[in-house]
Amino acid sequence: MTAQILDVLTTAAMLFIVCLGLQIVYGVMRIINFAHAAFLTIGGYSALVAAQLGLNPWLALPFAGLVGLVLGALVERLIVRPLYARPLDAILATWGLGIVIGQLVTIGFGREVQFVPSPVQGTVEVAGATYSLYRLLLVLGAGLLGLAVAALLSGTRFGLVTRAVIMNESLAEGLGINSGLVRFACFSVGAGLASLAGAAITPLSSVDPNMGVPWLVGAFMLVMVSGASLRSLALATLLLGGAQVLISAYASPVLGGLTIVVLAAVILRLRPKGLALD
Amino acid sequence: MTEPLPAREAPADPALRRAALLFAATLAAVAAGPFVLDAYTVNILIRALLYAVVALTVDVLWGYTGILTFGQSAFFGIGAYAAGLAFTHLGFSPGVAVLALVGGIAAAGLVGALVGWLAFGYGVTPIYVSVITLVLPIVVTQLLFSGGTFTGSSSGLSGFDTLDISIEAWFWLAGGACATLTFLAWIALRSDAGRLLVAIRENEGRCQYLGIDTARLKIGLMALSAAVAAVAGYLYAGFTDVIAPELAGFVFGTQIVIWVALGGRGTLIGPVVGAVVIEVVSAYLSGELPYVWNLVIGAVFVLVIVAAPGGAAAMVRRLWIWTGRGRARAGPGPAIEVVPAAGGGPLPDEALALEDVSRRFGSLAVLQGVSFRVRPGELLSLVGPNGAGKTTLMRCIADGTERSGGGVRIGGHAVGRGPPAECVAYGLGRKFQTANVFDGLTVAESLRVARARRETPSLWRRSATLRLPAAAARVVAATGLDERLADEVVHLSHGLKQALELAMVLALEPRVVLLDEPTAGLTKPERTLIGTILTDLVASERLCVVLVEHDLDFVRQISSRIIVLHQGRVALDGSVAEVVGSELVRSIYAGEPQALAEA
Amino acid sequence: MSRDAVLELAAVSSGYGAAIVVRGIDLAIGRGEIVALLGKNGMGKTTLLRTIMGYLRPAEGAIRLEGRAIAGLSPHRIARRAVAYAPQEAAIFQDLSVGENLRLALRRGGVYAEELTRVTEAFPFLRERGGQRAGSLSGGEQKMLLVARALMARPRIMLLDEITEGLQPSVIRRLAAVLRAERQDSGTAMLLVEQNVAFAREVADRYAVLRRGEIVDAGPVGAADAEGRIEAGLRI
Repeated sequence: MTAQILDVLTTAAMLFIVCLGLQIVYGVMRIINFAHAAFLTIGGYSALVAAQLGLNPWLALPFAGLVGLVLGALVERLIVRPLYARPLDAILATWGLGIVIGQLVTIGFGREVQFVPSPVQGTVEVAGATYSLYRLLLVLGAGLLGLAVAALLSGTRFGLVTRAVIMNESLAEGLGINSGLVRFACFSVGAGLASLAGAAITPLSSVDPNMGVPWLVGAFMLVMVSGASLRSLALATLLLGGAQVLISAYASPVLGGLTIVVLAAVILRLRPKGLALD
Repeated sequence: MTEPLPAREAPADPALRRAALLFAATLAAVAAGPFVLDAYTVNILIRALLYAVVALTVDVLWGYTGILTFGQSAFFGIGAYAAGLAFTHLGFSPGVAVLALVGGIAAAGLVGALVGWLAFGYGVTPIYVSVITLVLPIVVTQLLFSGGTFTGSSSGLSGFDTLDISIEAWFWLAGGACATLTFLAWIALRSDAGRLLVAIRENEGRCQYLGIDTARLKIGLMALSAAVAAVAGYLYAGFTDVIAPELAGFVFGTQIVIWVALGGRGTLIGPVVGAVVIEVVSAYLSGELPYVWNLVIGAVFVLVIVAAPGGAAAMVRRLWIWTGRGRARAGPGPAIEVVPAAGGGPLPDEALALEDVSRRFGSLAVLQGVSFRVRPGELLSLVGPNGAGKTTLMRCIADGTERSGGGVRIGGHAVGRGPPAECVAYGLGRKFQTANVFDGLTVAESLRVARARRETPSLWRRSATLRLPAAAARVVAATGLDERLADEVVHLSHGLKQALELAMVLALEPRVVLLDEPTAGLTKPERTLIGTILTDLVASERLCVVLVEHDLDFVRQISSRIIVLHQGRVALDGSVAEVVGSELVRSIYAGEPQALAEA
Repeated sequence: MSRDAVLELAAVSSGYGAAIVVRGIDLAIGRGEIVALLGKNGMGKTTLLRTIMGYLRPAEGAIRLEGRAIAGLSPHRIARRAVAYAPQEAAIFQDLSVGENLRLALRRGGVYAEELTRVTEAFPFLRERGGQRAGSLSGGEQKMLLVARALMARPRIMLLDEITEGLQPSVIRRLAAVLRAERQDSGTAMLLVEQNVAFAREVADRYAVLRRGEIVDAGPVGAADAEGRIEAGLRI
C-alpha cells in the first residue's frame, strides 16, 4: 500500500518534471514543441557527457539545463520564430527538428543504450516499504522545481511580463513589453527545463537516441489538459499519473500505458478547458 | 481512362484531358515497370506505392480540408492486421481474403467515423482532431502489443499464407490502385462537391452559415479515408507477409505527414510522388548511410515547413511559371443561369420574431428581454452605441446555441438550441461585418458552395453554368462580379468581397437576411449601390432584412423601421422619422447615461 | 506643420489589408496640447489610434514622434518612447491585480513607489486596492485604473480611446480634472478619441471631426462657432 502511494507520487513527480518545459512553451506561445522529446534526449546525453567528463553526478542536472537553454535559444531564432502565425506548422517543424536531433545524437554517440550513474544509490525505508532513494528525491525535486517556476512567474518582473503576454499579447505590446523577447526567453527556458528533465530521469532508465519519444505524447496530453496553469499541471499529473500506476498494477500494464492519453482525450472532449483551474 | 466523360458536359476541359493523358501514361508505365526494372526495385516500389495511397488520404484530409492527422497509420495498421490475423488464424482462401478485406474496411471506417464524431462535434476545439489522431495510433499499437500470440505482440505476424500471385502482378495491383485512386481523387476534388472541402478549410464558420453540415461531411471524409488507408494496409500485409505493430504507430503516422509536406500538400500528385521517391531513395541509401539519410530527410522537412510550405510541388509550379510556361489565366467564368425561386407557398405574416431574448456572460447581462417581430418586406435597422448588444443580438438570432434565454422564430419555426445550419434551414442568411468569404476559391465556386444546400453538387464533374436565384444574380451583375467569376476571391477588392458575401447569402434564397455593418470600409459609390440593391430586394422579393449599421445616414436612407438598442434593451422602436427626431436617441449617442432615466 | 509637434501625422491612410478605413489624415499635436478626435462609431477613430500605436502599418503617409518617424515600428518600441495608449476594449489585464496592472506600465528607469504615489494622488482609491484583481473593479474604476496606468509611464503623449464611455457624470468630471492637472504639471500632450462632445469641449484645446475616415472639420474648441460646427459634423 505504501509502495503504491509512493509509486503514484514519484510517477506524478516525473511526469511533472517532464511536462514543465512543454507547458511553459505552450502557455506563452500556444505552440506545441514536438522537439520536446529531443530536448529530453539532449538532457540524457548531457548527463552522459557530464559523467564521461568526470563531473559530480549532481552537476549533470544544471549542465543539462544549460545545454538545453542554449540550444533552445538557437532553435527559437532559426525555426520557431517564423512559425508563430502557423501553429500547426510549428508542431511539424519541431517534430522534424526532433528527427534531426535524434539522428545527430545517433551519429555522435551511437545507437546503443548507455547508462548514467545515479547521484544517489540505494533505498530507504518509508513506513515499512523499501523504496528507491532517487525516486523519492525526484518528488522533492519536482516540488522545488514547481515552486521555483511559480516564484519566477509570480515574483519577478520577468514573470509578470510573461503572464501579461500570455493573457493579452497585443495589450502587453502597447505597454512597451517586447513580446518577441518574452517568447524567445520562454522557449529557451522551456528547452532548458526539458533537458534538465531528461537528465533527471536517466538514472532511472537509460540513455538512447530515442529515449524522449515515449514521453512526448503523454506530456503533450497532460499539457493540453492543464492549459497554462502550474497548479492544474500538478493536479493532472497526480490524477492521470496516479490512474496509470493503479491501472497498471491492478488491471494490466498495457491498459496502464494507455491511461494518460485516453483519459486526457476523454476529458478534453467533455470539457475543452480540461482541468484548467484558472 | 475508366470513365470517359460525355463531351456534352465537359465541352473542352484541357486540364481534364491532360490529367487523363497523364493517367493513361502512368498506367502504361506501371504495366511496363516489371519488365524494365530489377526485382529489388520492383519490390521496393510495391511498398512505396501502397504508402503513397495512404499519403494520398492524408493529403485529402490535411492539404485540402485542413485536418492535420497523425493517425492515418492506425487505419493502415487495421487493414494490415485484418489480413494478417485472418490468414494466420483462418488460413488463406478466397473467401477469407474477401472477408478480411471487408472486415478491415468496415473496422477502419467505423473507427474513422468514431474519431470524426469525437473531433468534429459542434464546439470542440480545432486542435482536438490532432489530439485524438495522436491518441489513436497509440491505442491501436498498445492493443496489438497486448494481443499475445493472437496478434503476435511486439514481433507481429509473419509467414502466413497469402495471395499467391507473381511479383509483377503485385506491382500492377499496387501501381494501378495508386494511379487510379489518385486520378479519381483528382476528379472528385475538382468537382463541385470537392470544392466544398476547400471551402471548409478556408472558412468553416461561413460554411455552417451557408447551411452546410460540415461536421457530417468531415466525419464521412474521415471514414472514407480510413477505409482507403485500410485497403492499402491490407495489400501491404498480403504482399510483404510480415506485419508489426509499428505499422499502426505514431511514428509511421508522422512519417506520412512528412511525405505529404515534402511532396506538396494540397496537390495529390505531390504527396504521391513524395512518398514514392522518398521511400525508394531511402531503401537504397539507408543501407549505406542510415543516419545521414534520415538526418537529411528531417532537415529538409524542417526547411520546407519553415521556408516553403508548398513543398516540392509548389517549387515545380513556380519553376514552370518562371520558365514562361505558366498556366494561361483561368478562362472566362461559367454562364449564369437564373433559377426560379423555390417558392415556399404564401409568405407568412411574420418573418422573424424574438420573444424575451437574453444573453448573459457570467453575471454580465448583455441582452435582456429583447422582443420584437419583423414582417416580410421590412428593412429593420438596429442602432445603438458601442456595447449596446447589437452584434450579440445578431448572433443570438443566427445561432441557437448563443441565447441564454427567450425564444426566436424564423419564418414561423421556433429555433431550438441548434447550430447556425438549423437557422439557415428555416430561411435565415447572415452576412458578417468583415467580408467572410473563401479566399482560396473562385467567385463562381464560392457561389456554388452557397447553393450546395439547395442543389446537391456533383461528385465528379464541374458544372459549366452557375445557377443563381434572381436576387443573387442581380447583385453579381450590378457589382461587376459577373466579369470576375473565374478569379480567385483573394484577388478581389474589399468592396467586391463584401458584395460577394451578400450574393452568397442571397443564393441561399433566404427569407430573413441579417447584415452586420454591410457598408464598413466601402467607398461612397459602393455604399450607395448596396443600399439600392437592398431596398430593391425588400420591395420586389418581400425579403425581411435586419441590419446593424453605424452609418446613420445610410440607415436613414434605406430603413423602413429602426430599433434603438441601449444597454442590452430595446430603447425605442419606430419609423425612421420617429427615431431620428427623438431626443432620446440624440442623448444616447451623446453618451450621457442619465438620458434613459430622464426619458 | 509645426516643427516642435510631439506627434505629427502627414497624409496618413490606414486600414485592414485592402480595406482602407482612414484616409489622408493630417494632424499635429504640440507639447501640452490636448486634441479631441470626434466622430460616430465606425468612422475610423480607433483605427487611427491603432495606426499611431504601431498595431497597423499605415498604407500611406508619415507619422513622427518629436520629429522622428515611427511608422513601421512595433507597438512596444513606440510605447517605450513614452506614448501611453489606453484602448477602448480589453484594456486592462482582468486577471492581474491592480498593482500588477500599474507596474506593467512602468518604463525603464521609472521607480514604482514614486510613480505610484504620484498616480494615487489623482486616484486615491487605488492605494488600498493594489492587491485586488483588476477584473473585480467596477466599470468606472476600471476606466480610472486605465488612465492611472497610462500616467505611470510618465508619457509625453497619451492616446485615450473613449475613456468616458458608459461612465457616470461624477467620474467623467474626475477624469477631466485629472487630465487637465497632468497637462498642467507635466506638459503631457493628449489625443482623446471621444463621442462625448461635452467632455471633449471641457478638456481639449482643439477638436477634429472624423467622418468616414476623413477629417472633415477641425478648429479650436473655444471658437465662437465651434459648437455648431461640431454638431454639423456629427449630425446623423
